[in-house]
Amino acid sequence: MTVETQRKLADLNVMVAGQGGDGSLTVANLLGVVLGRRGFRMYTARDVASRIKGGHAAALMRGSIAPRGCMGDALDLLVAFDDEAVERGGPWLAEDGFVVFDASGGPAPREYLPEGATVFEIPFARLAVRDLRRDLFKNSLGFGVVSRILSVGDDEAADVLTQRFAHLRRQVADANLRALEAGFAYADENGLTAGSGPWALDSAPNSDRILISGNEAVAVGFLVAGGRFFTGYPITPASEILSFLERRLPAFGGVAIQAEDELAAVNMAIGAAMTGTRSMTATSGPGISLMQEGVSHLGSAEIPLVVVDCQRSGPSTGMPTKPEQSDINMLVHGGNGDFPRIVLSPSTPTDCFHLAAAASNLAQRIQGPVYLILDQAVSQDSVTVEPFDLGSVELAPGKRLDADDVAQLGEYRRYLVTDDGVSPWAVPGTPGGMNLVTGNERNEWGHVATGAANRVTMLDKRMRKIDLVRADLPLAHRWGDPEAEAGMIGIGLELGAMEEATERLAAAGVAISGLQPRTLWPVLDETIEFVRAHERVYVVEHNAEGQLVHLIASVGAPHERLRSVLKYDGVPFRPGELAGRILEAEGAAS
Amino acid sequence: MTATYPPATPIWCAGCGHFGVQAVMLAAMRDLGIPAHEVMVLAGIGCSGTIQNNLGTYGYHALHGRVLPTATGVHLANPDLTVIATGGDGDGYAIGMGHLVHTFRRNPSFTYVIMNNGVYGLTKGQNSPTYQSEGAALDFDAVSLGLSISSTTFVARGFARWTDQLHRLTVAALEHARAGRGFAFLEVLSPCVTYNDTYPVWEATLDDLDARESYDPSSRAGAFSAVSELADEGRMAVGLIYRNGARANGELARPAAEDVRPDRHAAAYADLMATFRVRSGD
Repeated sequence: MTVETQRKLADLNVMVAGQGGDGSLTVANLLGVVLGRRGFRMYTARDVASRIKGGHAAALMRGSIAPRGCMGDALDLLVAFDDEAVERGGPWLAEDGFVVFDASGGPAPREYLPEGATVFEIPFARLAVRDLRRDLFKNSLGFGVVSRILSVGDDEAADVLTQRFAHLRRQVADANLRALEAGFAYADENGLTAGSGPWALDSAPNSDRILISGNEAVAVGFLVAGGRFFTGYPITPASEILSFLERRLPAFGGVAIQAEDELAAVNMAIGAAMTGTRSMTATSGPGISLMQEGVSHLGSAEIPLVVVDCQRSGPSTGMPTKPEQSDINMLVHGGNGDFPRIVLSPSTPTDCFHLAAAASNLAQRIQGPVYLILDQAVSQDSVTVEPFDLGSVELAPGKRLDADDVAQLGEYRRYLVTDDGVSPWAVPGTPGGMNLVTGNERNEWGHVATGAANRVTMLDKRMRKIDLVRADLPLAHRWGDPEAEAGMIGIGLELGAMEEATERLAAAGVAISGLQPRTLWPVLDETIEFVRAHERVYVVEHNAEGQLVHLIASVGAPHERLRSVLKYDGVPFRPGELAGRILEAEGAAS
Repeated sequence: MTATYPPATPIWCAGCGHFGVQAVMLAAMRDLGIPAHEVMVLAGIGCSGTIQNNLGTYGYHALHGRVLPTATGVHLANPDLTVIATGGDGDGYAIGMGHLVHTFRRNPSFTYVIMNNGVYGLTKGQNSPTYQSEGAALDFDAVSLGLSISSTTFVARGFARWTDQLHRLTVAALEHARAGRGFAFLEVLSPCVTYNDTYPVWEATLDDLDARESYDPSSRAGAFSAVSELADEGRMAVGLIYRNGARANGELARPAAEDVRPDRHAAAYADLMATFRVRSGD
């Protein structure tokens, strides 16, 4: 059995690729505007080499009327500025796909393309240099051909281009228009007449939407939830959070600082957090490894901090620009000693916004570490979503004491043992609230104490804090048919492919019920219940060890029902690919 | 008056140099009239890393080697606090060495009192990077390191036994940082009587720059020259070695004092959101 690939022009998958500096993004951006005007939603990804500049770069873009959270099965259109672009994009091209190829250096290498593909070979660069004296104008030329394929009117294409280059010098803008017209002329010669190309774009009512990445959404959520101190050390794929907050935090009285390494980053954040400032740091797996001592210290010393892990392919330096979900074990179990921690797992940018805000509040309430676990695709891919509901964010201050509160007390003990485990907290600068904060085991005053009874009392007190917030931990996102025999569980980048695969499977007669846990640790009862409620549960994850499936099994989910669906090649699932894997397994199960 | 933690009794051996450091720190805070609740003392790991328990201020026990980034975070989040980082040579010159360079470079306005005794006392006497089998001058000299970084603004060295000078240096360091002039680095030669009793050798070979009438601590070249010449003779400089009054931080943000209620910033947040809008018109 195979799964039908859905290909309509209500859903268009495009790759624009060339050497870094070719301006691949320009064509993608122009096309994005055309699609946006028709009410398409966008899912955009980059496929870049891990190097400073140049190297091969591809802009991947999916425009769809339906909201989608991943690239589709196949590329409908490949705009290739060199042979390598064909070599890389060709295998993804649909049987009846279109290729617009810059033939300045010779014909397209057909061996990488499906037989049914339609190829337009145009010496873009040569024409651009000959007639307009600049290689970069080849992008506008290419856009002219693309707009004819999609039956976009010439006037509209010119309008989009004019607006796009409105900020440039007049001569440059005019040259781009001439390049566009040269593209039209070429199209005319090759039978692509104005307004009647082989494809036409659907349209849908438009609304006020945003295009945002998960990293940006995390930064916005942190800010809106009162975050005012951020520190980070540059690392792919987390750096956008640092650069965004460096630009934006100062206007809100906040500070974002680039540390000398991840050890400094987590400890600077610890220092800031101790002053009562809502703080966060973000990194990827290698940085999280270096921060482990700091995170266990947060748990012991009872300091609130949000730590973001934008996972990439590991171990060690691994594949820095590729997604993976192989830090789950480290976040859930890493660090020395026993300490309370929470791990939240967002998927869409909207989810990133809300869970960043939730993480900030939870950290304050438990006075301890809260991880946000993302992956490269969630972090860096940009998605069209509805504007975030800013009004939904409320601040949970946690148990804080000001000078008046302290004055009411007969005595103030920083690590007072309480029923819920949380000790009221006076931050430095509070008159009368002087206290000692330490990662040593201590008595209520904060003095080092290693007695057996005190140790148990203090450790139990700290661990109790999770119970205080358990009922408020973010619940899972669900989709599909709740009555289905088969279930599917996955986090982060898997969600888009899982939801779409569920639709495909339903069409093929296989019902699936889906669960995206948003709290990864502690594992919530709902996750165990979900496994119990289904005969077979496919746990979809990007790692080789099955870290998520083992985590779920380790807390009591019936392991005989769990099935691993693993991928660790650095490439996200395409929906048809995932549906195929499930169908195969279901075939074996029945 | 609300009772808070009782200051601890020092854990140090009789004769330890750290007693002198603690005495002058308390005296300096008293001289400058700084209320205990406005002071945060951060300490590294080691014998010196217990000093914060004995003072009655806000205190924090950092991870080993990380006292400087932590203090930087405290200072940047709340520059109204008087932040004093403390620690030993194992903490500051071995595991935490990298942070020292960057703290000189960033020049945040807090004080660092590092108690140098050449050994790891708490773990029973292993050598530290400043252990010298003979002679006084250190192979690794943090004073020269500080002078070599162009953003450095304050470098001093005291000797735990010379408490009058150490008192003056501590006051000067606190004043420098509290005035927003930058990072005040004060190394205290603070002998470990149990594992590395350097009182006699230091007492015999230290050279007090404060006592030289012609010495100008505002001259970096002069400071380098004095320190280097003494080192060539197997001696070490103490005193106010370098102070550059010209640099001062500008107005600093005060994140800890910000009103962060979302309704307070609703319009600005909405504006930020709008920068991500997909404009249907273009």
